[in-house]
Amino acid sequence: MASASIIEMRGLSKSYGSGAKQTVALSNLNLSVNRGEIFGYLGPNGAGKTTTIRLLLDLIRPSQGGATIFGMDVRADSVEIHRRIGFFPAELSLWEGRAGKQIIHYVASVRGDTRGIVKHADELAERLDLDTSKKVRDLSSGNKRKLGLVIAMMHSPELLILDEPTGGLDPLVQQSFHSMMDEYRDRGKTVFLSSHVLSEVQAICDRVGILRDGELKAVESVEKIMNVEFSWIDVTFRDAVPAGMQQKLGRMPSITDVSANGKVLRMRMVGDFDPLLRAISDGYVESLHIEEPTLEEIFLAYYSGDKEKR
Amino acid sequence: MTGSVFIETLKQTWKQMVYWGVGLAAMALLIVLMVPLFDMQQMASLLESFPPVILAMVGIGDDLAIFTTNEGFVAIGFFGKSALIFAVYPVVMGMRISANEEDDGTSDVLLSLPISRGQVMVEKFLAYAASIVGVVVLIYLGLQAGVVLGGVELDVVGLAEVTFYLIPLMIFIMAATMLIAVLARRRTVALGLVTAFVIISYMLQTIGAAAEGTVAESVGAISFLTYYNAGEILSQGFIWPHIAGFAALSAVMLLAALNRYEQREIAV
Repeated sequence: MASASIIEMRGLSKSYGSGAKQTVALSNLNLSVNRGEIFGYLGPNGAGKTTTIRLLLDLIRPSQGGATIFGMDVRADSVEIHRRIGFFPAELSLWEGRAGKQIIHYVASVRGDTRGIVKHADELAERLDLDTSKKVRDLSSGNKRKLGLVIAMMHSPELLILDEPTGGLDPLVQQSFHSMMDEYRDRGKTVFLSSHVLSEVQAICDRVGILRDGELKAVESVEKIMNVEFSWIDVTFRDAVPAGMQQKLGRMPSITDVSANGKVLRMRMVGDFDPLLRAISDGYVESLHIEEPTLEEIFLAYYSGDKEKR
Repeated sequence: MTGSVFIETLKQTWKQMVYWGVGLAAMALLIVLMVPLFDMQQMASLLESFPPVILAMVGIGDDLAIFTTNEGFVAIGFFGKSALIFAVYPVVMGMRISANEEDDGTSDVLLSLPISRGQVMVEKFLAYAASIVGVVVLIYLGLQAGVVLGGVELDVVGLAEVTFYLIPLMIFIMAATMLIAVLARRRTVALGLVTAFVIISYMLQTIGAAAEGTVAESVGAISFLTYYNAGEILSQGFIWPHIAGFAALSAVMLLAALNRYEQREIAV
């Protein structure tokens, strides 16, 4: 059962309005998230990430297609599904006049197991350094988000659906959050995490789906998506960059974005190294540094639609 | 767990209930304390000199005799056009059932829990209905305090009937607000529509009462305010068909709101 899918989306589509005023928020999304994985759902604002999550939670209804979680229909079986999931919304709003502790008790009582859940909530709050005795209106935005994370995780759900969870958290808390996610994975639980913090996705996710303009552009393992064809090359010459070298490299089809900085030429290269090695042999090469693209760059490459650069 | 939303809603509301209840009770107390200051016979003569439209506007129908009594004075002073005052609390509560939480965004968290939308709505409705009962009880205690403090002789049973008759009226207004809010989705739009509903009802009732014996009288029958007439309740006691009408319409509006809320999307 290790690879059994927990979330299944088939042709999931959502549009608003009709006729000329119709806006497509999500188009024919087909995606599976497997048990025990941390799935990163990447996209810029307006790409359709939150729409997808709200569809999964049955807060909004699809125009076409559908989705299942734990093999159950997200609409028909929403109450049973919600029993087994934890959710953190991107635009987190909590009851301003209530203290964190009171909200935890409220949510725990709706979940029907106050004692066990509250005990775990206290542990999580301690790990995240959250004072639950304060009213929500008195909490900073970072502490509100911590409270949101506690509420999402306090019943140890089988599936966590997190929409931009770490924005506004300080780096130490983010580190704690990453550790919690690792523990979740180790316990065989599943996380569906929407984010635009790519370094975070790179650090904790197993697979990544990239969404743009409501369309899923790619689904790959983080490892594989990092293994794309382009690289950044820094060539350091002993004396100076030979005259005309920058222009010469810039004319090569496999090389783009050539820039000079003192004795160093930096460029982006696709394909084999041999043409580059031959081209730079006019000068004395002191060192050659090859840098894999960051997830941010891959992300941007997907968004630019510049497939030949990948 | 069943009842969690009900209990939490009461916890979030009890202070407002007390503030509203105490405020309205203070008004009731004041009116009762004013009773000895007026000569009711002079009051009756004065009222007879008023044109019917003016009397209708302050909630007095054709039975002027009832208003020459102490109870009648309280009925005019406090309950006469009180539906407009008492409409505010149920409107505020009705808005809280769905529109406020949707606008604030807290409904996303609540509806991601293992509880159906219908259960959320019913439990909130019942909690706010309970808070209405609390407000009305406080109003009655205010009247009773006036009787004790002012040594005023009042028909306690009659005033109790006028007071507790407010419960079905206020629950009806809350149910109407809830339905309008579920249909309108946005708090500001819903509030505008509810305000229009109450004001138009007031105008229709006034027109109907002022134009007695004419075709326009039937217009008043459309207004829900027509079915809360303090003088009529004082003279006749609980008018059960009217109470049943309020209850039935409230139930119908609750069912309609439940159906719509289950079907529609939750606003972002």
